[in-house]
Amino acid sequence: MKTPLLELNQISMTFGGLKAVNDLSFSVFPGEIVGLIGPNGAGKTTVFNCVTQFYKDYEGDVFFDGLKGKVDLRTIKVTDVIDQGLVRTFQNVELIPDLSIMNNLLIGAHKQFKSRLIDHLFNTKKARQEEARLSEKALEILTFLKIDHLKDFYVKGQPYGILKKIEIARTLMSDPKLIILDEPAAGLNDRETDELEALIYQIREKYQTTILLIEHDMGFVMNICDRVCAISFGKFLAMDTPAKIQKNALVQEAYLGKDD
Amino acid sequence: MTEFVRLFFNSLQTGSIFALAALGIVLIFRTSRTTNFAQGLIGTFNAYVAAYFLLRFGWNVWLVALIAIFTAFLTGVIIDTLIIRPAAKVNPISKQIVTLGIIMILVGLIPFFFGVQPLLFPSFIPSRFGIDILGATLRYNTVFIIVLSVALMGAMFWFIQYTRWGLATRVTASNETTSKLMGVPTKSVTMVSWATAAILGTLAALFVAPSVSVQPNMMLNVQLSAFFAGTLGGFSTFIGPVVGAYIIAFARNFTSFYISDIWGNVLVYSSILVFLYFKPYGLFGKKPTKKV
Amino acid sequence: MLTILDNFTKRVHGFFQGHVYRNYLLFGAAVMMIPLMHNFGIIGSGTLGIWAYIVIITVVALGLNILLGFSGLISLGTAGFVGAGALGTGVFLNMGLPFELAALLTILIAAAIGALIGFFSLRVEGIYLAIATLFVGEILRQIYTQIEIFGGQMINIGAIRFLGFFTLNANPPSERRFLFVIIVAVMVLMMIAMHHLVHSKTGRALLAMSRSQAAAQAMGVSILSYRLIAFVTATVFATVGGVLYAVYIQNAPTTAWTLDLSLFVIAMVVVGGFKSIYGTFLGAFIIHGIPNLILAELFGDVSYIFSGVLIIVVILFYPYGAIQVFYDVRKWFHKGRLKLTTKRSDRSA
Repeated sequence: MKTPLLELNQISMTFGGLKAVNDLSFSVFPGEIVGLIGPNGAGKTTVFNCVTQFYKDYEGDVFFDGLKGKVDLRTIKVTDVIDQGLVRTFQNVELIPDLSIMNNLLIGAHKQFKSRLIDHLFNTKKARQEEARLSEKALEILTFLKIDHLKDFYVKGQPYGILKKIEIARTLMSDPKLIILDEPAAGLNDRETDELEALIYQIREKYQTTILLIEHDMGFVMNICDRVCAISFGKFLAMDTPAKIQKNALVQEAYLGKDD
Repeated sequence: MTEFVRLFFNSLQTGSIFALAALGIVLIFRTSRTTNFAQGLIGTFNAYVAAYFLLRFGWNVWLVALIAIFTAFLTGVIIDTLIIRPAAKVNPISKQIVTLGIIMILVGLIPFFFGVQPLLFPSFIPSRFGIDILGATLRYNTVFIIVLSVALMGAMFWFIQYTRWGLATRVTASNETTSKLMGVPTKSVTMVSWATAAILGTLAALFVAPSVSVQPNMMLNVQLSAFFAGTLGGFSTFIGPVVGAYIIAFARNFTSFYISDIWGNVLVYSSILVFLYFKPYGLFGKKPTKKV
Repeated sequence: MLTILDNFTKRVHGFFQGHVYRNYLLFGAAVMMIPLMHNFGIIGSGTLGIWAYIVIITVVALGLNILLGFSGLISLGTAGFVGAGALGTGVFLNMGLPFELAALLTILIAAAIGALIGFFSLRVEGIYLAIATLFVGEILRQIYTQIEIFGGQMINIGAIRFLGFFTLNANPPSERRFLFVIIVAVMVLMMIAMHHLVHSKTGRALLAMSRSQAAAQAMGVSILSYRLIAFVTATVFATVGGVLYAVYIQNAPTTAWTLDLSLFVIAMVVVGGFKSIYGTFLGAFIIHGIPNLILAELFGDVSYIFSGVLIIVVILFYPYGAIQVFYDVRKWFHKGRLKLTTKRSDRSA
């Protein structure tokens, strides 16, 4: 049996008496595409926020076997999570509207810049070379996503489908082992969704990465995921292949309500 | 003991004045989403109006105060209609600078209408009337200022809490777009807020006028203290700044008497900074929540 | 006619898009022409003084633009730091330190206070932070006016000895003009430094921090580090402005560093243009230059009214700053050109 890349061990998170996540455990293995599903308010984004250390006061442990070996993520600062090879997108696209698309990607490479403030003030050779090298990397990614022609445009004013792509492109800048996508297909039309599906496969191929995603579009999830984890009211329901999850009585009950 | 009593009543008086000004600032902050740096000068301008009528026509101080309150109401309405409403879509920082523009307009208007000399303004009740308490004189004017301010603020709180208009103000303060969609007349709410704030500022100006005389800088100290009061009490409630105002008045008066004028201020300001570090949203404020 | 227009727009466009050093140097050279006009008696020394103040305050406002435009933070304490620059230089010079050391020490001390505010800003935000910086400004002001080493009303500084060998005095006009050239040179250097800064990793991180804190953190931008960088840079710029004040005016008042000055500096950024370096200079010109060079001559005392109206009008019509005017003009040119070309092709068809 392979060792898991990401391991959630009895995670609980409480907001003022309300248990948003309740004793949740599951694992993600290298190379997998895993979906996390659940009805509205099931605590999916909360799980992501715990994993990426936006919330620190959860109970339980999250282990990640990333670029620097197996670590307890709680010991990692939220801004250092990316160094482990763990990077995420956001439910409501979080880009920098008044920067060009190229520059938005370069923010994803923030930690790879070794130049310092003093280099920047004087625009030293070191700073210039680094900027050029990482810009090239960004351009490569943009070309791969077929949005390289837009690189110098501001993010502000781009259509939603492009914004979603830029956010994914930004995650790729850090050579991630695990990409966490929060509702990547939300707001996309059918054609764009199909395109996204192909893109996620390609990313896994090309960047040898693992993907964990939240999505409400069940067709999309069932198509793309190797395994699906279903939760409801913060509690684990089942984790299995899409086909089996669809037939699972507990999952059906959570989505459709109980037959009396 | 005598000094203590004197300082106590003094602080109550300055606290009331700070509170009136602070309440005006918070009212505007919450309904128009801007820090109104012109609050002090709006008061000053209308205090000039009162002093002008008093000196020019020898009218009674109560009558000219009423006139000033009326012109304050007008100033508020005019500023809201001509300047603030067109600037509704402007970002919050630019909006603050719009209030700086208002300051400059008023600073330019004052010498144009009222000349460059400071004008004298008497207290509402002449300072010879008062009673002795433990050796200190408590002037009736002080009592009048405290009682009127507290009564006014009480009435305002009651109004905000229990009337339809008050409800409209509160919902506008909490979310203007939603309120507008729900049919709350947010435009009128903002206008009335500006008018009310102008009146509060004018009252504060009339109350400090006897001691500093009517001149463009008369409200500098009050305005700063009002901002500090808002921060100390928290801008998210109406009661917070009022409490903050009294605390600042007491702290400044007592430290400047028992320590020294300047170091007292430095001490009070520094302590408030330390306090803010531990309670970043003031005494009564709550942390706004944001979801990612 | 069309080709002239065409060439002109291309030139204007090229000037702003071309090599960064060339542009700032050309700009600096243009500003340095002003003392030449003074030399030939075209402008008086009062006017030269107003231009000098515009140059000095531009440096201050550039720093504030890093805070306001890029980092989404605000400071109402700017005046306190400009005062620190002027008074600190004065105090250290009067102690007998060489000018360069005096300036450096002043900047370091101010930067340390700036760093404290940066730490503070991690917990306190929005209007609370704004007013907290006002507290800092007020504390500084109280200290200036009350502590003896600041000389009560003002410190007399007198002639400045640069690099230990050449001395410049504010008094004979020839030396004053030379001082003007020096402060413009410093402004240009600060502009270039800021240009590099905002187009680097640091500039991007500052923007990320202000536009989406969550995304910034997920990408590894430490909010603490960049809050510190933002406040320290802004403070250093403001203090450098103060040092320039000491250099040019050669005395430093203790009472001038009030909230009003801080508000005016914010107004320069808002009116000139958020995030724009040339816009900041334009803002300084609109806020300080237009009232003092033009309006005061025309209207005297009531010129304040017009300045106030000017600020409000610019904000209402150019919410991203008056520098937009130039973009609009460029767009208008392009449109005109397009229209003319289509008309011509219509005719030929």
